[in-house]
Amino acid sequence: MIAKWIGKRVIMGTIVLIIVSFLSFFLMHAAPGNPAAAYYGGNAQTLSTAEKERIETAFGLDQPILYQYGVWLREAMQGNLGYSAKEGRPVATIIQERLPNTLQLVVGTLGIVAIASTWLGLQAGMKEGSLIDRGLSFVSIASSAIPPFWLGILFIMVFSVQLGWFPSSGMKDVRGDGGLVDRLHHMVLPLSVLVLAHVGVFARFLQENVKAEKHRYYVEVARANGVPERAIRKMILRNAIIPYINYVGVTIPSFFGGSIVVETLFGWSGLGQLLVKAVMVKDFPVLMGAILITGVVVVICLFVIDVLMICLNPRLRRGGIV
Amino acid sequence: MRKEQKMLIFWLVILGLLVGFTLFSSWLVPFEPNAMDMNHIYEAPNGTHLLGTDQLGRDVLSRLLVGGRVTLFIATLSVVLSSIIGIIYGGISGYFGGAIDAVMMRILEAFLTIPSLVIVLALQAIMQGSVWRMAMIMGCTGWFVTARIVRSEFIRLKELEFIHMAKMFRTPLWKILFRHLLRNSLPAIFVVTIFNFAGAIFTEVSLSFLGIGVPPSIPSWGTMLYTAQNDLLVGAWWMGLFPGMFIFVTILCVQAIGSRFKQRGGQTHV
Repeated sequence: MIAKWIGKRVIMGTIVLIIVSFLSFFLMHAAPGNPAAAYYGGNAQTLSTAEKERIETAFGLDQPILYQYGVWLREAMQGNLGYSAKEGRPVATIIQERLPNTLQLVVGTLGIVAIASTWLGLQAGMKEGSLIDRGLSFVSIASSAIPPFWLGILFIMVFSVQLGWFPSSGMKDVRGDGGLVDRLHHMVLPLSVLVLAHVGVFARFLQENVKAEKHRYYVEVARANGVPERAIRKMILRNAIIPYINYVGVTIPSFFGGSIVVETLFGWSGLGQLLVKAVMVKDFPVLMGAILITGVVVVICLFVIDVLMICLNPRLRRGGIV
Repeated sequence: MRKEQKMLIFWLVILGLLVGFTLFSSWLVPFEPNAMDMNHIYEAPNGTHLLGTDQLGRDVLSRLLVGGRVTLFIATLSVVLSSIIGIIYGGISGYFGGAIDAVMMRILEAFLTIPSLVIVLALQAIMQGSVWRMAMIMGCTGWFVTARIVRSEFIRLKELEFIHMAKMFRTPLWKILFRHLLRNSLPAIFVVTIFNFAGAIFTEVSLSFLGIGVPPSIPSWGTMLYTAQNDLLVGAWWMGLFPGMFIFVTILCVQAIGSRFKQRGGQTHV
């Protein structure tokens, strides 16, 4: 049963990746002018017709589009994403440098958000009508209305400009050795912006699940039979967390979306910043590669969430409805 | 219940004021929004310039009001577009069901997996430019959730008695689709559209802040924040603070109104 379910998910992931690869490949063809011009970006005007033709044969651009797509996909699968039109280096290398930085940021955010929102949501949900309950509802609405980058600007205003506690951009000190402490010091602001942007909404979601779960019959029975409060809490959490994890899975793409803006604001050289830069200078090979890799990373994250769901929800293991 | 009503009216009034001020900004603004005054650059909020001036001596308040019109216009246009696409896509998928539905839903799920900002960025790379294009791009990438809601509403409704009756009476298909199914799903579509509107403001502002949305020469709430990071370093805090406040209050109003209608819909419907 599990194998079948996982198989289904893998097929789904593959479909997603095919769509992403289509998107990133046809980007080049949809660009104004011909692909050869797009490849050379801003330098395209300097090419003569003969040179353009030479480039087209060299890159196989005179072949049918679907054939080109096939070739491109085969190369991409083998790790060859082409060369950056601006830097001349292989796109795969550039992305390899950038990806770990984004992953650090996103995984760190996800970890803190998961722990903090579980604790907050459980606390608020268990004490209905308390200060933390009402406070959380208010904070989550307010925090979902603040654009993360503006929060970042405010943070820079207060913590970098006024107080001078944390650097406003970059990943390491110019004088520093780039060690762990230095890295963490630079990570504080972007990380806390991303965490604050998400934690309220997640906690609210869990809070509402906990509230709904608390009035279920089994809780009443357990309480009537004198089951200790700790154990009841655990039961409630166990049941309330399943839709919560599903929700985390649904919002994972938005984590990567949010990191694009925050990375750019704080000069964090990750995948998001690379994407924005590639759009600005019209570096299409890098853009294509970065979109493709973002898709792959999101699909992998979703797969991990799915596996987690199977572990936590016994009903899924018996092949029930998703 | 009465308190809820009052809150709804409160949010509606604030949003109405904001929209009103931006709509009639041409008559209200104290200064020409693009008029530069090099003698008064980076002036802190004072009597003449209520919210200060920017790096070219332009009045921040005037630019905010005019910029709001751009931001709200893009958001409105893109939401109208995305709703139309979403209703058509979700409607077809929900009404016909079966294999069509399965295929369309798989495609939709795939789209939902890709961060929408990435799709917008990709499209922005090939057709960067005007306010209209921006609205088009956002409209073409914002319909996924609407489509899902419309589909589930259509599936729920098409099994109800009155639809079976209508079919029995040989009501033409378009009449069933528009008069019965669409009209009855309007409350749900309305709620999701409100939230989409907030999302559209978010996207416009983020992209313009990154410098790849609305061209920086056109004032919008996003483009005004484009230079804010540098302005902060020279101490011009008002440049970063006020546009963000406007964005925050607008989105807060829209979301509060949306969740009020959502609750109400939940009570009368399911």
